[in-house]
Order: sequence, then structure tokens, then C-alpha cells
Amino acid sequence: MRSILWAVARRVGAGVAVLWAAATAAYAALWLAPGDTIDVLIGDGPDTPEIRAAISAEWGLDRPEIVQYLAYLGRLLQGDLGRSYWLQRDVGEVLASQLRPSVELVLAAAGTGVVLALLIAVLTAGRGPWPRRAASAAELVSVSVPPFVIGILLLTVFSFTLGWFPVSGADGPAALVLPALALGLPIAGVLGQVLRDGLERALEQPFAVTARARGLGERAVVARHALRHALLPAVTYVGWFTGSVLGGAVITEILFGRPGLGQVTMDAVSGKDLPVVMAVVILFAAVFVAISTVVDLAYRIIDPRLRTT
Amino acid sequence: MKLSKVVPPLVLALALTACGGQGAPEAAKSDGGSLTWAIETEPITFNPHQWAQNKARLLVFNQFDALLAKDAKGGYAPWLATSWEVSDDGRTYTLRLRDDVTFHDGTKFDAAAVKANLEKFSEPDYNPAVKAIQLRTLDKVEVVSATTVKITLNEPDTLFLDFLASPYAGQVSPKSLRSAKDLKAGGPDLVGTGPFILDRYVKGQEAHYRRNPAYKWPPATAAHQGPAHLAELTYRFLPEAAVRVGALTSGQVDVIEGVPATEVKLIKADPDLTYQTALNSGTAFSYYFNTSHAPFDDKRVRQAFREAVDVDAVLNSVYQGTATRAWSIVAKSSPFYDATLEGTFGGDTAKANKLLDEAGWTGRDSEGYRTKDGKRLTVRAVASAPFVRDRRDILAQAIQAQVKQTAGIDYQIKIVDQGTAQKALDDNAYELFENSRGDSDAGAALNLILPEDAAINRTHFHDPDVDKWLAAAAADSDTAERARLYAKVQQAAVTEHAIVFPLYVPADQIAARKSVQGLGFDPASGTPRNAYDVRIGT
Repeated sequence: MRSILWAVARRVGAGVAVLWAAATAAYAALWLAPGDTIDVLIGDGPDTPEIRAAISAEWGLDRPEIVQYLAYLGRLLQGDLGRSYWLQRDVGEVLASQLRPSVELVLAAAGTGVVLALLIAVLTAGRGPWPRRAASAAELVSVSVPPFVIGILLLTVFSFTLGWFPVSGADGPAALVLPALALGLPIAGVLGQVLRDGLERALEQPFAVTARARGLGERAVVARHALRHALLPAVTYVGWFTGSVLGGAVITEILFGRPGLGQVTMDAVSGKDLPVVMAVVILFAAVFVAISTVVDLAYRIIDPRLRTT
Repeated sequence: MKLSKVVPPLVLALALTACGGQGAPEAAKSDGGSLTWAIETEPITFNPHQWAQNKARLLVFNQFDALLAKDAKGGYAPWLATSWEVSDDGRTYTLRLRDDVTFHDGTKFDAAAVKANLEKFSEPDYNPAVKAIQLRTLDKVEVVSATTVKITLNEPDTLFLDFLASPYAGQVSPKSLRSAKDLKAGGPDLVGTGPFILDRYVKGQEAHYRRNPAYKWPPATAAHQGPAHLAELTYRFLPEAAVRVGALTSGQVDVIEGVPATEVKLIKADPDLTYQTALNSGTAFSYYFNTSHAPFDDKRVRQAFREAVDVDAVLNSVYQGTATRAWSIVAKSSPFYDATLEGTFGGDTAKANKLLDEAGWTGRDSEGYRTKDGKRLTVRAVASAPFVRDRRDILAQAIQAQVKQTAGIDYQIKIVDQGTAQKALDDNAYELFENSRGDSDAGAALNLILPEDAAINRTHFHDPDVDKWLAAAAADSDTAERARLYAKVQQAAVTEHAIVFPLYVPADQIAARKSVQGLGFDPASGTPRNAYDVRIGT
């Protein structure tokens, strides 16, 4: 019992350390980037010493960097994410209002990607050269075409020409279909390849021969035996595609006029809107920590051999 | 197989949004109907006092009314103020106000409200830029009676009328100025007196308005009286031009603004759509020369750069015949535009080469660029990515190719983030900078660009005569006299000193379904007007 508690405590401690490191690195990166926040807030508008002084005083930017950093950490510990320089609103509220559409998009895209990848891999693995080549080509295209182009193509065909789905907004399930596809197709491409390679390796293993010898059909061999082996490398990719989805979400959100964290993050980074950038970094770091924990657990579920260790 | 590709996301999407539970789109359609308008730029703020984006101007006057309106001739018309008097010394403005106006929160609009709105700007953190520029001369505001307010300035400032007709003079309910949760961001809880009431804002997606049924105080420039025609109004934020056009042609939105040059032909050819365009107010999009160091400290090099470019050909190839060439800093739409400058520069490559030879740039290096004392004739421009629009990056590339080919000038343009751009400006590490401004009174823009200590004088240009003329024009309320003074200013900047290379006059475009009527442009800015006069005909 004690050892389990100790393991949990270690995990939580490591998570907090990761969050702190991410926050500090982001803070330093923004600080080192050229130009200062006041410049960005002034933009191409009038720029006089009085205007600069007023902005500086309003946000406490006249204090030394290290003092600002410590003050930020102090507020963070109290759960205060601060106010956005640009949006003039509470950062916690801004993120909260954009979280749901983002989560919807990411889950729908990830779901689309996983389902498509599984279907394609199971249907084409060990099926002779032609289906395999066709699937492989489709995967390559979906991975190499930029999400922006995929999005425009989907819009042109399914929204502007056929009129099946609306272009914009986050209202209603119909509006989620095209963005989820635009973001999900590249995931399906990468994941599909990884899965099929794994499947084909597994199908050459002695256990596959044994299964076939027991009279199992090829489909059943793939679905019941080989897939489990192929999932291990695929699960490792989950962490990777969380990152890629968050990056792709920026483009997808702008293209489709969807609310979401991607757009907020991009505006905040280009506007040196420190409180928003920091909050997003901390949020994403927390998501990564959570996902890597889940992935470790998933290994144990998928592969019984790991449970004993 | 084809089916299965479409089904999983659909099923997933259904499952996801079912637990989310966003209501079905409103079916409510009272008389006047509803309209959806796709716009390019999401406003940073809904507080008119904090307004900073010309592209978001069309939203401001849905929710708010200003004290005065600007008419098509550059004069002023009554709005919430029925009349105004300026004292002989130009320092006291007495406004008489309508007595039948109420804010959306039910409170009454009166002289005390005007005072509260103006005095809000004196708070140090509220809007330091307006405090330092537009309200620089404000001394005091006195309530004479419920319908009369007297404003005193420290010195005469004819641009004060322009302020009274600007979004900054949009009247906000003093009650909501005190109670709004996010005052500087605005939103449904910061209310005005306008023809529409903002009732929903979804960041990144849309702003939704409903009609103000009590509205009966439009500006004298409006086409009708009483409440707005439309019962409901939705602005969708679609930053991608191709997506806006697709949404319009497929009937998903009724109106779009910001039509790219490449799509104009397609829209004009469509019998179900209408297209209109207007030139923006303010200054033309121009290259300004940094006169503080070589090579543009030499007037001949500045002139040579202008002569090296065939502006008409470049504009035609980049904007496909939709751009209007500029000849002055001041935009062609302004009453202060000096038309005598037309045809005075550009496109004479022989002259360009002669000027450069005279200026001593006679050598040539291995890549064909001109040199002087072993140094290449390089000019650098730094543009901040968030402000690069209208294919200005493509325009820069076209000019870059031309000046290299015709005159051996090495023009380098870097598009960078705002911080890096600002650093280059601070370090004086640029020879060219590009700029256009959307000020409704071109004089306001000239005051920011040309005087020696002006806030965005990045040419480091100084001419005491120009400073004198600008000061005199700012204090004079006679439009003809101001035009005469501004003409002298323009001639000095464009011809005598050649510190600027005007390129084109920015414009705005509206495309709509044929049934949508009453769309148009705000004469003060040349940007799309609010939706008060818009209706859906049959």
C-alpha cells in the first residue's frame, strides 16, 4: 500500500515539476523574444512617452522582469491566471469559454482519425499488394497535404458545392463534421501506416500461424490477435498526435470560423499577451502529463506481459 | 467504403454535441427578417471608447450612436446632438441634445451622460492614446441643462468635431460604464442607444444583435426613420477570404465584406449577387522614406526609387485592375486631396538611372546592383505581419523585382512579428516603411506623420513650414482654408521633399445577395456602414 502511495506521490510531484518548468520556459521565451509588450499593445497607433507610461503603469510592466515573474508565480499559486492585455478580460474566463469547442473538435478529430485508421489498417493488412498500395497512397496524401488545403477542399466540395454541411460556427453537430475531417485525416494517415506495419509484423509471428491452424479466418486472426500487438506502437503516437492536433486546430479554427483555444493561443503569442500564453502553456502541459499517464496505463491493459513488472 | 468515411465523424459529432446541448438555431423571424453577414475581422473590443480597428467600425454604430454624424461632403450632421455652436475663439463647443433618447438599459440620455462619457477618458488607464491625441486639448465639460452641454478646450482644435462624430463619441450608458463586468472589452452588458442591441457574442464565431424597437433617433444622414428594418442581425467572423466568398455563393450568408481582387470578376458575373466598393478615408497606402541616413538622405535617391517603378503596371498585375492609384499621402476620397499632384512622378526609368548616377551610385556589383564606395544600394523595409493585408506582400515583391531590373536597387522586405518590427523602428534599422491610415479626417493622420515630434514620424523629416501649416489647419474651422493649407503640405511632402511614395488608395468591398438592399459605406471612413438602413426586399 505504501509503495502505491509513494508511486502516486512521485507521479504528482513530477507532474507539478513539469508544469513549473513549462511555465518558466514559456515565460523566458516570451521575455527573450524581440520587442516588448508595450510595443505590441501600441501597434501601429500613436506612440508617445505619455501613452507608453500609462500602459506600463496599468500592467505593472515597469517592474524588473524577475519581480514580474515571481509575482506571476505567486498569483498562479492562488489560482489567479491574470487578465489578458489584449482582450481586457479574465484569462480563466476566456479559456473556459473557448475550451468546450476545442475539446469537441479535438475529440471528434481524434475519433475520426482513430476509426479511419483502424478500418483501413484492418481491411488492408496482409491483403496483397494492391489494396495495400492504394491505402498507403491515400495515407501519404492525407499526411503531406497541409491541413489548410484539406480544409478548403472539403469546404469547396461538401459545403459550397453540395451544401451538405455549413461552413462556420460551432452550433450543431453538422458544423463539426468538416473541421473534424480536416483535422482527423492526417491523423488517420500516420496512425494507419503505423497500425498496418504492426499488423503485418504480427501476422508473421508464430502465434498467427497457430491461430490459423486452429481454423480461424483471416479477419478473426487480425482482429482478435494481431491488432493487440499492433496497438502498442500506435498508442505511443497518441502523445504525438495530441500535439499535432493542437497545432492543426489553429488553422482549422480560422478556416472554419470556429471558436477555440487554437485561435486564442495564436493571437496571444503574436500579441505577446503573456497571461494568456502562460495559461495555455500550463493547460497543455497538464494535458500532456495526463495523457502520458493514461498511455502508460494503456500499455498495461493492452499488453498483459507488462502487468507483472 | 465511401459511406464509412463520412459516417464515423457524423456519429461522433452527434454524440458529442448531444451532451453539450447548444440550442437549435433560433427560428424567430418577425417582420424584417434576419440577416447574416460574414466579416473578416473580429473586434478586439465592443467598447466604442476603446475602438481601434477600422475593419470593426461597422459594428460600433449598430449598438451605439455618436453625438454628430459625418456627411458625404465632409461636413457634419445632427445625431444625438441636434445642433452645435463653436465660440469665436474656437475653444467652446455648446451642444444641444435630443430629449427623447433612452439607453438600452432604460436610463435616459442627457447632458450628464455626455459629461460622464467624455470624463471617462480622463481616467489614466482608460484609453491613454485618445487622451493624448484626440482629447489633448480638452479642458472641462459642464452640464448647462438636461439638454445642453458646454465643452471647453485649452486651445482651438477643429478636429474636435471629428472626434464628436467618431466611435469614441459613441454614447455609453453611464450606469453600465460603472457596472459592466469587463469595461474595456465591452459586450452585451455595456449598452448604448443604437438601433440594435448586442445580445450574444461568441468569441471566434459570431456577434448577434436584435432590433431596438424604441429607436427613433437616427442621424440626419440616414435613409429612413424609426426602428431598423431587420429584426435580427448576425455577424460571422470568417477571416479567410475564399471561405467568405464560398459561404456567400452557396447561400450560407447574405452579405460579405472584404472581397479579394481575385474573386471580384466571379462575383460581378453572378446575376444573383451585387457588388459595391468605396475608397477608404485617411491616407493612401504609401512607402515613406527614412531621410535620417543613407541612401534616402539624398532626395535624388528618393525620387529615383519612385521613378524606377511603373506603378500602374505593378498595381494591375497584383490587383487585376481593382486598385486605385494614389498620388498623394491624402486619400483620393478626402475633401483635402490635392489633385494637382496627379501624374507628377513614377515610371520614368531613364530619369531614375540619371538621378542615381548624379547621386554617386555609379558602380555595379556582380549581381547587377548599383554601388557607391563599394557599398551596395540596399534599402530595407520591415513590416509587421498582423498589419500586412491586401496582398501588400505580393505588391512589395513586384516592386522589388522592378527596382532591381530598372535601376539596380536592392529592395529587401521582411515580414516579421510585431516585436521584431518595432525593434527595427526603434533602432532606426530601416530605409523604408509602409503605412496607410484610416482616419476620417485626413488632417488627423497628417498630424501624426509629418510634424517633427509626431507620434509616427518615421521618416525623420522636418520642415518648419509644414509644421506651421498643419498647426494652422488644425485651428481653422473653414474647410476651404484647411484644404488650401493641406494642399501646400502635400506638395511639400510629395514634390518638394519627395519623402513619400504613394501607391494605392485602400478600398472596401461589399458583396451581397440581390435581395439585400440598403447596404452602403460610411462616408466618414469609406468602410461598410452599420445595418440600420439594411433590409431584405423581394
